[in-house]
Amino acid sequence: MTTMILVENVAKTFTLHNQGGVRLPVFDNVNFSVEAGEALVLAGASGAGKSSLLRILYGNYRPTAGSISITHAGRAIDIVAAVPRTVLDIRRRTLGFVSQFLRVIPRVSALDIVRDPLLARGASAEEASERAKAMLARLNLPERLWHLAPATFSGGEQQRVNIARSFVDPSPIMLIDEPTASLDAANRDVVVELISEARAAGSAIVGIFHDEAVRERVATRYLDITDFRKAA
Amino acid sequence: MTIHQSIPGEDAKPAYNYAYLDEQTKRMIRRALLKAVAVPGYQVPFGSREMPLARGWGTGGIQITAAIIGPDDKLKVIDQGADDTTNAVSIRRFFERTADATTTEATEEATIIQTRHRIPEAPLTTGQIMVYQVPQPEPLRKLEPRELETRKMHAWAEYGLMQVKLYENIARFGEVTTTYDYPVSVNGRYVMAPSPIPKFDNPKMHMSPALQLFGAGREKRIYAVPPHTSVKSLDFDDHPFRIQSWTEPCGLCGAKDSYLDEVVLDDLGNRMFVCSDSHHCETRRDQGHRGPMLGDASTLHLVDEAKS
Amino acid sequence: MTMHVAPPDAALDPDPLLSVAGVSRFYGERIGCADVSFDLWPGEVLGIVGESGSGKSTLLRCLAGIDKPDAGEVLFRSASEPLDIYSVSEQERRRLMRTAWGIVHQNPRDGLRMDVSAGGNVGERLMDNGARHYGQIRETALDWLSRVEISGNRIDDRPRQFSGGMQQRLQIARVLVSEPKLVFMDEPTGGLDVSVQARLLDLLRVLVRDLGLAAIIVTHDLAVARLLTDRLMVMKDGLVVEQGLTDQVLDDPQHAYTQLLTSAVLSV
Repeated sequence: MTTMILVENVAKTFTLHNQGGVRLPVFDNVNFSVEAGEALVLAGASGAGKSSLLRILYGNYRPTAGSISITHAGRAIDIVAAVPRTVLDIRRRTLGFVSQFLRVIPRVSALDIVRDPLLARGASAEEASERAKAMLARLNLPERLWHLAPATFSGGEQQRVNIARSFVDPSPIMLIDEPTASLDAANRDVVVELISEARAAGSAIVGIFHDEAVRERVATRYLDITDFRKAA
Repeated sequence: MTIHQSIPGEDAKPAYNYAYLDEQTKRMIRRALLKAVAVPGYQVPFGSREMPLARGWGTGGIQITAAIIGPDDKLKVIDQGADDTTNAVSIRRFFERTADATTTEATEEATIIQTRHRIPEAPLTTGQIMVYQVPQPEPLRKLEPRELETRKMHAWAEYGLMQVKLYENIARFGEVTTTYDYPVSVNGRYVMAPSPIPKFDNPKMHMSPALQLFGAGREKRIYAVPPHTSVKSLDFDDHPFRIQSWTEPCGLCGAKDSYLDEVVLDDLGNRMFVCSDSHHCETRRDQGHRGPMLGDASTLHLVDEAKS
Repeated sequence: MTMHVAPPDAALDPDPLLSVAGVSRFYGERIGCADVSFDLWPGEVLGIVGESGSGKSTLLRCLAGIDKPDAGEVLFRSASEPLDIYSVSEQERRRLMRTAWGIVHQNPRDGLRMDVSAGGNVGERLMDNGARHYGQIRETALDWLSRVEISGNRIDDRPRQFSGGMQQRLQIARVLVSEPKLVFMDEPTGGLDVSVQARLLDLLRVLVRDLGLAAIIVTHDLAVARLLTDRLMVMKDGLVVEQGLTDQVLDDPQHAYTQLLTSAVLSV
């Protein structure tokens, strides 16, 4: 088993300088690791800091203390200390983030959005298109939408484009934040399948799932964030 | 050329020094000329003097001629190719009076040829000096109005912009439409304005055995092309430089290889083409060459019948 | 359990394209920008954000070698030798500006020749660099016009007949045609309508990625920064108050000023 993520002594406190310097402690002394092929589900009440932790793992939020080793191309790299271009390289090749929201880029079609990560990793245009189309079809996105920019899509359609983009070529580490929030049962099943397939293929999964049924089907292990709150 | 500082000719006014300019000025101009010859195509600033005629009438050329002429020289002056136009006649007389100079209309006899707008058709020879009158010495000026900038462009041979101008011509008209003052590259280094000669004459500058001097009086610049120096007209590989050509020969002397002027004969649309180099045309006629319209031309008193 | 943690960057190419150290520019008592240092790697896009007067344009002018700073050093690594851009000759700097560098001005009029056709504008850098084949120059110009979404039948029109957005796209083509390694952009979408901006942004995003350009983009628009840049430097009163990964700086701003800046925007 390969350790993909090693979190050591991570703490996060938000300081709001423009509101009288209010300090909002989120958690303290977080320690855990995630192995390849594992699906760790973050548990804890709403507001416990699950999303913040996920974002810290992605390098999006900066922890107040601690280190996070990510196994990237066979080497462990502390994403907290890494310079921006290293973080970007880790994200490009190792670390995927699946949110419930698609960041819509003007004029870029759904198909191009899904193809993009494949192209970035060096796939041929033809192969990328084929795989992207297969993924969109699997998520039941009507073919007439493929060549349109998703700005005008419904929330569920945008979400499926986003999921297709994330799972068309699953990263060695997948960070997943509420991916099924506005999906119907059929598509939710597809997402659960996709996650299971990625895990079976060796990806390490860390996720937040509001839907209890989904959580049960996906998780191999739970981590309760609330445990780290009292210390903070 | 000889330096001649003694008594001026009989009919020159004694108030003037030989060849009008004072000796200090001549020396200054000669220094500028030496520098210009040493750096072919490079514009050397000089202290252009007031001359007894308006700027724009060839003061740059006159100052150069004044600085190099001596009593042994034979001066030819042409304006638009002709020896007998006002400007040419006046300048010739100016040097006859102030420099005791012998003048000639024969290209092959001349040691100094001062010109506005033409290079004679007869090949120039070693020892001859061409003096060009230049209104605008800066070939980049229309593209870049700042002097500081054009100097840098020359200094570092940044001539892309010049090429852009030619590009624009071809894009707009299908060919380079510049027909006179067509920019040249001298010695593979400086881009130079050849003065408003027709582009027809550009090839004559290339590797010419004559020394070519350029004077811009108003702009206070002197530049030069030494003998046997390469002078290449700018162009594109797939749009090579081409000179003008005419479908008919000179109406008077029948020449097929000289630069022709169009002469409108009446208001019925009749016209003829004649050599712009009047001396060349006369020489050919003296040699017995006959153009198709020579008879008509004599009836119209365009040429002196006795002379042809 | 222990993991061996390697130094962060060992796997990536070792030399930055541009190394900036301690660049400062003063206007008398007033600070233009002070003690700015950073490295920029090939393919990286750095955003400099801040409000008007924060020193971001001063910094850009210093970085691009247009102004000389009062202190500091900028090293550019092109082919072999690193160039110290403040000690190289003006000639060399101008050559750099025609080849490996490019500047996209906020106002296209500052970057275009308004009396020269679109094709001539795009072709100028090629001719600067010795191209002398009309047909090839024109072909390249046509290719670039299409890349910036200007119809080929406008190639002989002059920029003054173009809309603002088209002028800006033409300026971009004019700069990128020589395939520079580093491009400086000063508010590239400033002064354009929102819809025109979006198109331009998308175009820039694609070009930057396809060409592997490194770019330094000055903007006061955080949405532009979000879309185009990998990294961000936040400037206030001539000082860099915060820098880092773009999404980090925008989503989890640490400095009071950055928090103010991000909270002042409706949605980025």
